[in-house]
Amino acid sequence: MGGSGSRLSKELLAEYQDLTFLTKQEILLGPTGSPACARAHRRFCELLPLERRSMEESLQARVSLEQIFSLPELKANPFRERICRVFSTSPARDSLSFEDFLDLLSVFSDTATPDIKSHYAFRIFDFDDDGTLNREDLSQLVNCLTGEGEDTRLSASEMKQLIDNILEESDIDRDGTINLSEFQHVISRSPDFANSFKIVL
Amino acid sequence: MPGRAAARPGSEDPAARPSPRGAAPDSASAVSSSSDPAAEGDDAGVPTARTPDGEGEPHSQHRDARLGSTDKKLKAGATAAGSAPTAPRSSRQPEPRVEVMDPAGGPRNLLPRPCRVLVLLNPRGGKGKGLQLFRSHVQPRLAQADVSYRLMLTERRNHARELMWEEELGRWDALVVMSGDGLMHEVVNGLMERPDWETAIRKPLCSLPAGSGNALAASVNHYAGYEQVTNEELLNNCTLLLCRRRLAPMNLLSLRMASGLRVFSVLSLAWGFIADVDIESEKFRRLGEMRFTVGTLLRLAALRVYRGQLAYLPAERVASKVPATPALDRQDQQGPVDTHLVPLEEPVPAHWTVVPEQDFVLVLALLHSHLGSEMFAAPMGHRAAGAMHLFYVRAGVSRAMLLRLFLAMEKGRHMECDCPYLVYVPVVAFRLEPKDGKGMFAVDGELMVSEAVQGQVHPNYIWMVSEPSSRLEPQPPPPSQQPPHVPPPEDPV
Repeated sequence: MGGSGSRLSKELLAEYQDLTFLTKQEILLGPTGSPACARAHRRFCELLPLERRSMEESLQARVSLEQIFSLPELKANPFRERICRVFSTSPARDSLSFEDFLDLLSVFSDTATPDIKSHYAFRIFDFDDDGTLNREDLSQLVNCLTGEGEDTRLSASEMKQLIDNILEESDIDRDGTINLSEFQHVISRSPDFANSFKIVL
Repeated sequence: MPGRAAARPGSEDPAARPSPRGAAPDSASAVSSSSDPAAEGDDAGVPTARTPDGEGEPHSQHRDARLGSTDKKLKAGATAAGSAPTAPRSSRQPEPRVEVMDPAGGPRNLLPRPCRVLVLLNPRGGKGKGLQLFRSHVQPRLAQADVSYRLMLTERRNHARELMWEEELGRWDALVVMSGDGLMHEVVNGLMERPDWETAIRKPLCSLPAGSGNALAASVNHYAGYEQVTNEELLNNCTLLLCRRRLAPMNLLSLRMASGLRVFSVLSLAWGFIADVDIESEKFRRLGEMRFTVGTLLRLAALRVYRGQLAYLPAERVASKVPATPALDRQDQQGPVDTHLVPLEEPVPAHWTVVPEQDFVLVLALLHSHLGSEMFAAPMGHRAAGAMHLFYVRAGVSRAMLLRLFLAMEKGRHMECDCPYLVYVPVVAFRLEPKDGKGMFAVDGELMVSEAVQGQVHPNYIWMVSEPSSRLEPQPPPPSQQPPHVPPPEDPV
């Protein structure tokens, strides 16, 4: 893929390096020998109609969430919708630009620090965007995992048991919600987090 | 065999030396001396509060109330008698005690009174509260019950294991592990690595929960008939059991890894969903408490499958079949012979059941009823001598179903979910071979990487503080007393 005119210029590369956590090394060489950023760009362009894949157009274009969901790396992710909404900068938060896409990938890459990852995880799980994870947020989180179908969702009592368990473990100040620092604290003790919060193209 | 480690006992806490009157200096209540006759019968007087169907008052409260009245009786006794013992106990020469494991048939299933125990405690375990909990909840009760102790704090991983290599076991009537299952794992393996392992492993053990990885304590609590409780209540129950001094034999799982490593498990081996954690980071080498957190949900979100091959020897098939010739490690005299196992390079014996190679979500071999203080994983009954529980979950189970199973496990009701992906069978031996490279195993919560693993149960091999179940047969003598039995080679089928 790629071809005429879609290679990033050095200036743009430098600019993107400042904006994201991908180091220049990774942008230029990457762990597998190919530029991670350029790879991201190629994948992004694949989602655009053929005529809009020029360098200038692609950097201005926005891709709908549905199109981003079609990426195999996101297709199976139960939180893909929240992930995309968190990184979307469009007013209706329904589309991603290439910059948004790069931000997403950099947070999910190996080079982002656990602090950054947990910060974004918190935002992703904060379904009502009110700055804390309350029972309703947790309930929606679980529903993403189980599916919304009648036969797959947890019953009310199962949900209550699960959320009670989570709050018991995480809600240190016992105010019924999990704030950012409580969340980061419990995440830091979880070995699963690094593996679950990884998207590598 | 380990070389002589430069063992330093963990920092010895001066305040932990048994005080003359058996009372902790900071203990609030005036506790009588051990010579007070009123103290003699009181332990026996505390009723065995068994739970009828788990209903009624929470057990721990019930129990505490009775201990409270015992306290009052003791206090009254002390003030009435008024006299102090003539000499502090700690300065007396230790008087000869009946050896607990007396082959001549002495009181094998009871700790002596008074008794001396070594307490191993990881001060960083259980959110760092272990030591505090020992002081507040355990120490006063030990004092009342004529249990004198020495406290050894472990400083790092494998410290307890090394301490066990060097420890003069004759000094102690029991080894008390107050930390988590991981520390008990280290203690048992340390004992088995000694030259005198055959007698060392008979030293009675006690597990006191300190906030993380308390499956053993939760299981013992369950065997005693108490309600399922957590945290301080669980600690109180287990401390009480130690004060009651009764011992019961427990199974031990001998494991052999592809690398040739041999390891003993007191509780469990897990592969797949339960064990899949990031072993790169040093702080995650031990699983810690199995419970539901946001982290578990994340793992559920990233649910994957694990390809492998599983085989096992069902418990019911053992009586009718002569075990295979122990071809393993004939030169290896350390530890019991695994008579059911053949070398990993060879196929499993013909009388084993082979589960066709497939994708699994998890495989779990479990020696006890609980996987965590709120994970009642094996409700199907007291582990029979010589058998362990084998569970596996096949791929295809949905996240919702898996979540439901784990939630139901809190009350031991997961078997009622009738999940077709969940299989249970009691076994005496098993073999597990991951087929997508090396597998991550959690042995008693300790993370290990291996290409394949197999193991078998050694029945009634260790002694732990626990109410002996009335449903068990009278205890056979520990295997090390019997002459080793080498069966004739089985005829090829």
